[in-house]
Amino acid sequence: MTRLFQTDPWGYRGLFLVLALLLLFLRLLPLGNAAGALPGPDLMLCLTLAWVMRRPDFLPVWMLVAVFLAEDLILMRPPGLWTALVVVATEFLRARTALTRELNFLVEWLLASGLMLAMLLVYRTVFLVTLLPQPPFGFAAVQVAWSALAYPVVVGLSRLAFDLRKPATGEIDDQGRRL
Amino acid sequence: MSKTRIGPDDYARPLRRLLVGGCVVLLLALFLVWRIDSPRVERFRAALVDALVPNLEWALVPVAKVADMVDDFQSYTRIYEQNQELKRELQKMKAWKEAAEQLEQKNARLLDLNHVRLDPKLTHITGVVMADSGSPFRQSVLLNVGARDGIRDGWATMDGIGFVGRISGLGERTSRVILVTDSNSRIPVTVQPSGQRALLSGDNSPLPLLDFIEDADEVRPGDRVVTSGDGEVLPAGLLVGQVVRGTDNRLRVALSADYQRLEFLRVLRSHDIEPITDPGGLIAPPLLPSDPAPVVDGEGDAAAPPVQGGGDVGETGSGDAEGGASGSGSRP
Repeated sequence: MTRLFQTDPWGYRGLFLVLALLLLFLRLLPLGNAAGALPGPDLMLCLTLAWVMRRPDFLPVWMLVAVFLAEDLILMRPPGLWTALVVVATEFLRARTALTRELNFLVEWLLASGLMLAMLLVYRTVFLVTLLPQPPFGFAAVQVAWSALAYPVVVGLSRLAFDLRKPATGEIDDQGRRL
Repeated sequence: MSKTRIGPDDYARPLRRLLVGGCVVLLLALFLVWRIDSPRVERFRAALVDALVPNLEWALVPVAKVADMVDDFQSYTRIYEQNQELKRELQKMKAWKEAAEQLEQKNARLLDLNHVRLDPKLTHITGVVMADSGSPFRQSVLLNVGARDGIRDGWATMDGIGFVGRISGLGERTSRVILVTDSNSRIPVTVQPSGQRALLSGDNSPLPLLDFIEDADEVRPGDRVVTSGDGEVLPAGLLVGQVVRGTDNRLRVALSADYQRLEFLRVLRSHDIEPITDPGGLIAPPLLPSDPAPVVDGEGDAAAPPVQGGGDVGETGSGDAEGGASGSGSRP
């Protein structure tokens, strides 16, 4: 499986799309989000940040826009806003590819959690400015806390199941080009 | 630093930055358009959900069923206690059933005596819950009936017992129900028996808040809450729940509908409620004829219209009351 995917990024891209669809599907299941229940982690965000941190070339911007915009529309969020935030956050990471390659996992985890928190704050600020009703802050912060906790799990699973990792120094792909 | 393949290429960087920037601006513009002109974007959203979610149904249904089975299986562990409990309940129910049958017969007799015509317009369409909003911050469910089945925006939905929410968002094959617990939901209600009007506003908690009560002293925990029909969107008299006092010492409503298990929902066909605009015609004695010659004819003609007018007023009145669930008397 690993060899299959190493040849081109399309294997991983397809995998990401499948995972996104699966996560969306799981959230749509009519298993009842009872009102007042505490929200779980935003796995989609964890997955995106973890993958962009490892292999930014696997997740082109247009794909992220398509996936998150579809999620916005189907999950009844204001369309476009969360997508724009995700694009900005991933671009922030993409511009620092050289840096994130060097980070050890603890710092990377801190960076990802900080990004999630910043995204939440900006999201809620925009809600405030446009006078949209929004859930209480503590309620939304619980989701970020869960996402931060889920981040290492997502990274670990990506590593174990899909062999997704940061390229080592001097590693080359199948055509002998440097990564 | 040497050029790497996974980093962005040097020559493409400015162009790429421009494209990504444009993309973000477009997304924010979409958000603004949604904020300013929400219905148009919401229609698009409804169309998208309509096209997508029914296609997922083949997968949604088995998974949901399996999850339900796991729930049920867990309940097997305490089957003995449940059995005892059910036996006790059955004893009580038998007494209730007897009482209910007697009341039903009595009710039928009284209805017959009164020639009550129950409102034939208040029929319902039953739909199955296909998916929920998928977000802890939005309380809504998706039904498998839509514009094709004659559903219209704003119609009330109930489960077997109580009011659940109203239709908001309509596709060809699907429709979205905003639940009473959603933070966007505002339902005009009446508290029985005091008859106080209030607004039931959801706040994402299981017990929605009772707002704008005329006189809060008249409302006690345990009072029944029914829809009031104000605003001419929902029919009046649908059971919503009971008043309780929340932990924050505000009046809230414990909903009658079983929100843990929303599976089948009834969408009530409520047609436009006819408002009474006419203050009522003047029922006056016949005008005195100016010339005395056709006395008999003039009286006959003039006597007829006022009677007609009186009949109209009466009919409009009963028609409006029939917007309620219970119906009202009609003259035989």
